Amino acid sequence: MNNLRIRWSAFAFVIGLCTVLSSGCVVGDGYGYGGGVDVGVDYYDPVGIDFGGWGPGYRVGPSRGSDRPAGRGGQHAYRAAPASRAMPSIPSHSAPSRSGGSRSR
Amino acid sequence: MHLQRISNLIDTIAPDKIEPRRMHPDRLRQFIWQGLLAAMLGIAGAAPVMAAPLQLPPLVDPASQEHHVGKVIFVELVTPDIAAAKQFYAGLFGWTFHDIQAGGTEYAEASLDGRPVAGLIHKAVPAGKPRQPAWLTFIAVGDVDAAKKAALQHGAKVLFEPHNVPVRGREAVFADPQGAVFAVLASTSGDPPDVLAAPGEWIWSSLITSDPDTDAAFYQTLFGYEVFDLPADEGAQHLMLASDNYARASVNSLPANKPNAHSHWLNFVRVTDADMMATKAVALGGRVLVAPQVDRHGGKVAVVADPLGAPFGLLEWSDTDNKEVSNGRPLIVKEVSK
Repeated sequence: MNNLRIRWSAFAFVIGLCTVLSSGCVVGDGYGYGGGVDVGVDYYDPVGIDFGGWGPGYRVGPSRGSDRPAGRGGQHAYRAAPASRAMPSIPSHSAPSRSGGSRSR
Repeated sequence: MHLQRISNLIDTIAPDKIEPRRMHPDRLRQFIWQGLLAAMLGIAGAAPVMAAPLQLPPLVDPASQEHHVGKVIFVELVTPDIAAAKQFYAGLFGWTFHDIQAGGTEYAEASLDGRPVAGLIHKAVPAGKPRQPAWLTFIAVGDVDAAKKAALQHGAKVLFEPHNVPVRGREAVFADPQGAVFAVLASTSGDPPDVLAAPGEWIWSSLITSDPDTDAAFYQTLFGYEVFDLPADEGAQHLMLASDNYARASVNSLPANKPNAHSHWLNFVRVTDADMMATKAVALGGRVLVAPQVDRHGGKVAVVADPLGAPFGLLEWSDTDNKEVSNGRPLIVKEVSK
């Protein structure tokens, strides 16, 4: 009888464990960091959007550091850097060594 | 012989000891309660595993005290097919991957020469919601909650509330006033140093938006950027965001001839030959969205999409003598050492 009881309890324990784990694997719909925040789908872009259409004068890249602001004047929502200020470029020196640390930029 | 022994054994058991197989109601009740208790214990045991947050590696290892507010410090691909994404990016840039699993979440950390370059996170696309994957841009902040407050005050939406990611730091995801999605991250291990990206690493970011003027002001409020106004074609606006005396990102008008375009961040990987890499991307199942073209720094840029449709840029950058484009003509300029 005791054996049966132990077996029954163990069976129920395993069923409980499996139910929760499998439901978590299937349902998890959040961003994925835990916490159950269901916002992940917003991170996706809508399908069918256009990414191209860049004309010959369309420039997105960084400056080499010798550009000057266009100084078109007028009212802007942002505070423009002074026209006398040279345009900064991206970092030009390489990392001292290639071991350890992120170099995402 | 063996069967005979069993038969003899059974014969020795008195019939009254075999009979009471039918359980007494009280005992049955006790039995069921015991089972339920065990099942509850099983659920309780599983809960910590399910709730365990994903533990991501530190952004900088060993940790530093370096912080660069406004710098794009990490990018993460949200994709429904991590295996396909791994195959593509490994083939294109030589990235290698380390799988991390927690709480039913599939995550892969991408590295190049042992350095983390990106994260890939699995997210299924729910049925009936046609979406395409995207690279999520993480910008460094000192205080994520303060950034959230400022973002909300200036027209942003919160897509993912500020939360701690063990070891990595505190982060949140927003949609800016024009709808471009970006994330902020206060890294607990410091921000990556300001060095030139190697080929295969992220080198640049652009915000392509329906309202560059308003968006530049929004990001200036959040990150304290200097904003530079660059020459642009009639009707377009090209701006540059800078912090710590380094250019961090460009802000560009959405092309007028694309009615389905929407505001978005676009990140660029440094390459040595944009034409060759665009061809390679296609061979690996990707698509070219913007064919390679010479940009203001004298090198070419292109925009491609991975096989699942996530767009990203390719940007040539020479670290020797630099050719810069002025009025469509390349100039030779000397590199300025920082």
